[in-house]
Amino acid sequence: MSRTHDIEERAALFVHRREDASWSTTDQENLDAWLAESDAHKVAYWRLEHGWREADRIGSVGAIPMPAAAAWHRSAWPKFVALAACVGLFVLTLTLVPIDFWRGATDAPVARFETGIGGHKVVALADESRVELNTDSIVRASIGKERAVWLDRGEAFFDVAHVEGRPFVVHAANRSIRVLGTQFAVRRNGANLTVAVLKGTVRVEEDPSSGSHRSVTIMPGDVAFASEAGLLVTSGGVQNVQDLLAWRSGRLLFDNATLGDAASQFNRYNRKKLIVDKIASDMHIGGTFDARNVDAFARLLREAYGLKVREDRDKISVSS
Amino acid sequence: MADERALNAWFCREVLPLEGALTQFIRRNWRVPADVVDLRQDIYERALSGARSGIPTHTRHYLFTVARNHLINRAKRGQIVSFELVADMASFDAEYDRFGTERQLNAREELRRAQAGLEQLPPRCREVVRLRKVEGLSTRETADRLGISINTVEKQMTQGMRALVDFMLGGSGRISRPSIRSRIPRGDAR
Repeated sequence: MSRTHDIEERAALFVHRREDASWSTTDQENLDAWLAESDAHKVAYWRLEHGWREADRIGSVGAIPMPAAAAWHRSAWPKFVALAACVGLFVLTLTLVPIDFWRGATDAPVARFETGIGGHKVVALADESRVELNTDSIVRASIGKERAVWLDRGEAFFDVAHVEGRPFVVHAANRSIRVLGTQFAVRRNGANLTVAVLKGTVRVEEDPSSGSHRSVTIMPGDVAFASEAGLLVTSGGVQNVQDLLAWRSGRLLFDNATLGDAASQFNRYNRKKLIVDKIASDMHIGGTFDARNVDAFARLLREAYGLKVREDRDKISVSS
Repeated sequence: MADERALNAWFCREVLPLEGALTQFIRRNWRVPADVVDLRQDIYERALSGARSGIPTHTRHYLFTVARNHLINRAKRGQIVSFELVADMASFDAEYDRFGTERQLNAREELRRAQAGLEQLPPRCREVVRLRKVEGLSTRETADRLGISINTVEKQMTQGMRALVDFMLGGSGRISRPSIRSRIPRGDAR
């Protein structure tokens, strides 16, 4: 038997099992130990892991090649956020509770948590999991024999306590996100979802009611974007996910974002809205800002970028 | 010293896209086709070990240098390849660039490639991979759905995964079975 063949077999089995819900910390230790044994193990594992994820594209979009999907894949989150935020500003005010309501029927009582615009709240659940709500969000949780959470609106970061045999499922739009003990964020914008994983693995599934039952397992550093049309996964790395979670410390982080994108982001957090004219919208900016201090941001635009800034009671107009 | 995460990122981003070119290079310079996969794995291993003291800036040149040296060493040890060929390979510097360009696929091409790779798996293997990748079933669920054992699911999965990855990285994507005995003498056996 060829040595390469044996190593590859073993590596493939690890890659395969690691995606499964039954993957335990002992399994992870075994994998780490095996990888540490030799570089031959490492290259074989890395190669399969990498190639296997490239093939994930088939799972991401099912069997239907979608031209728009290809464009989304390469585009960074801020673009999506901007797009979603523009469309979503109107949609956000719709609470979609009735649609999800029938799923509320579990054994434990349902608790409801809410933040207003600019709000930020950390909630501890009965199972010691934590949910951190971002601005303008609604979450319901039922922690019993089954652990179920509904994201009715907005965005939340979940730090899920691992409990053997008690899956933690986040329902949002027409999908559910099945958690296998982990840290991740979900943002909902009407029917669109964005799931970013910081630690562990989660499985994003379509609800059976939607007719098909496709799902995809995503890992640390991955961001999945789900719309009614399909589901796409980008892998920008853990640092990228950390950046997306800057809101947890009340910050907004822009890396070469357009001013238009940045304004949409600020508008998620503040009642006083930034209105940017078309020419100024295309300007690129970068940096870290206090999400709730839109006045300071406007000042910076005036002083550092030389833009005209006019302030009214409920809006700030920016023009070139 | 480069840390493991940086090495992993480098390996996936810069080395693996060269797999098609590297495989061609080995095939052209080695007479025993059955050895190609083993040689490639050895070359990857050496490339990784070498990069540990500092990630090379010119990956392509680095990888092909490692490949050439490894083939020469193996050839000398095994006396399989004639020494003319070794001499030929010594002057490879100017020619390694001819081995194709890096595989740069966009998302759509990747999708098409993944689908094509899936298509050419044997039916049973394809169904297992499809249930897993497209429908996202767990091993248990896949086994139940197809009425086969978990062990069989895992066997089909690993086979399918290896073939599909090979295809994604520019290979033929055929199921590879182990050669009865490796024809390359192991370095440590001498």
